[in-house]
Amino acid sequence: MLFGAESFRIPQRFVSVDAVEAELGRFESALNLVSTSLEENERLARERLGDQYGAIFGAHRMMLQDPKLRNEIEGLIRSKCFSPEFAASRVLRNYARAFRNLGNPYLAERAADVIDLEKRLLRALLGEQHPELSHLTEPVIILAHNLTPSETANLDRTKVLGFATEAGGHTSHTAILAGALELPAVVGIGHFLTDISAGDIVIIDGNSGTVIVDPDEETLEHYRAEALAAESQSERLAALQTVEAKTHDGERVHVMGNIEFPQEVAQCRKRGADGVGLYRTEFLYLGSDHAPTEEEHYNAYCEVIEALDGQPVTIRTLDLGADKIPGNHREFASEPDNPALGLRSIRLSLRDIDQFKVQLRAILRAAVKGDVRIMFPLITSLLELRKARMILGDVIEDLEESGVEFKRDVPVGMMVEVPAAALLADLFAKEVDFFSIGTNDLIQYALAVDRSDQAVASLYRAGDPSILRLLRMVIDAARTQGIPVTVCGQMSSDPKYIPLLLGMGLRSLSVTPLAVPEVKDVIGHLSLADAEAIADHAMSLDVARDVENYLRGEVTRLLAESEHSETTDSDNRE
Amino acid sequence: MTDAVTQSVTVPGENGLHLVPCSLIAQSASAFDCDVRISKGTHSVDAKNIFDLMSLNAGHGSELVLEAAGASARDAVDALVALFESGFNGHASRSAAQESH
Repeated sequence: MLFGAESFRIPQRFVSVDAVEAELGRFESALNLVSTSLEENERLARERLGDQYGAIFGAHRMMLQDPKLRNEIEGLIRSKCFSPEFAASRVLRNYARAFRNLGNPYLAERAADVIDLEKRLLRALLGEQHPELSHLTEPVIILAHNLTPSETANLDRTKVLGFATEAGGHTSHTAILAGALELPAVVGIGHFLTDISAGDIVIIDGNSGTVIVDPDEETLEHYRAEALAAESQSERLAALQTVEAKTHDGERVHVMGNIEFPQEVAQCRKRGADGVGLYRTEFLYLGSDHAPTEEEHYNAYCEVIEALDGQPVTIRTLDLGADKIPGNHREFASEPDNPALGLRSIRLSLRDIDQFKVQLRAILRAAVKGDVRIMFPLITSLLELRKARMILGDVIEDLEESGVEFKRDVPVGMMVEVPAAALLADLFAKEVDFFSIGTNDLIQYALAVDRSDQAVASLYRAGDPSILRLLRMVIDAARTQGIPVTVCGQMSSDPKYIPLLLGMGLRSLSVTPLAVPEVKDVIGHLSLADAEAIADHAMSLDVARDVENYLRGEVTRLLAESEHSETTDSDNRE
Repeated sequence: MTDAVTQSVTVPGENGLHLVPCSLIAQSASAFDCDVRISKGTHSVDAKNIFDLMSLNAGHGSELVLEAAGASARDAVDALVALFESGFNGHASRSAAQESH
């Protein structure tokens, strides 16, 4: 078990003017502290390993004591009221980037030395020693205030059995990633760390979203049985891998996977998905401290396309806020009160057109290798869509002139995730090749609920009648115009919504890879007539609770009706 | 500027002016009061600054020009030339470390 294990999070970026002198003092003592520890390292390395190893720490110390470096950092603290952590991180990362860009592979590796220095300084400033997540030696459950998506992504799957965090919501990136990595996780349960001490036995129940501390023998026994049942259930579902998703009256439904990393394609294929309906590209921007190059984009896309072996993939362009992105995007970042309504996603791409073009070029080049579609997120107005398409047109022209191999007629679609876009779906449908409904954001914006805010998270209801109406508008508009429409987002991974979505006319879903077999299973238990009747009735209900209860009841009934002949050991839970 | 001294040197060692050599040059140069600069082609940097030195991106065999101006210019250039000629090996690093305050 681990406590609050995470890499450095800079607690605050700015300090008040009055505090500047005190902060400078704090920086000074951190410098001295690191300098002393480097001297100690240098001495030890010289004694034990030889002079040439000691010299490395000597060089680190030399960097640290460099007057220019110090002036730059102190300058930022003084003139911009940056916190020492933020100032040091920024200056050192600039140097690291400069080394990387020199084009000399040996010097590029020195960027790691600079980053190491940054870590030492931050550790001294924050006064904490963090256990390294990357050096786990035995199985653990991680309990932390917060895990960032990249920390989650880098968890060692062979050692980490599950995790729970105090902050975050169930549709946060961290939670989505936990699903992708198939890790039991409970995210955003509020304060609990103070109630636990290292060495306690902890059960993470990702299904019910509970963390049980110090369980009694009976509870332990119950969960051991659950774990066994879950295993045999997943074996049963695995048998569906080669079965096409069809309703039992023969209507074909495409069930695709949502992925974030190229490695997840294997999880989609293993579960018999019909391709990738949503490839989120944010990780290209998050993992490192520089904006991804065209080759980095291109290589990631090629890996996905090749692993799909002819199956389709829809690549979504950057869908992040300016504040979350390293490198030159930062110049666009402000400190908004409400980032969900701020400069993010397609808005950022349309502002930073150079970066946008880099991504589009890479997609068009990679598209030669398979069945690729481009999708723009967060489109709100027709002008935005037209502008994005115009930039795509420019990129096509550039590629043509440069003679690089690429595919020019890649289908272009949009996420429908802003209520404005849903309301104008009939107009948008004339200008795109497909829609994909992003229910997570659509619900958040339509119901004005921040899904990661624990205080209002229970108001976030996919079954709200307003959401059902928005879905119907979009699906009808797509049908009238004859373009395909998919639902991605967590609503389509939830079995109780499957009959509703099919009944509304959807024939394509994109779900978290883990849910593919279960979704196929539900589809197989439905007829179109059932689905349409369920959708009609659900549309007639007027509050979210009634809609959700009705849908839950229906899906349980449908699964039970045709399943009495099968022997299942997983339905005897309660 | 009255006592400007220049001398050219060739970068030894297969990795060129990487981290440790740069730190040794900066340490050694910092021991002198005068201005010391190193240039590769038209790119000239302060020899007392390790980050600037690394930005020279000087690989094995690069031709560099050392330039110093001020009272101890000759001594500074001689010390750096000796450092280049020694191939930045261990004993040079120890003597440089002892000189630094």
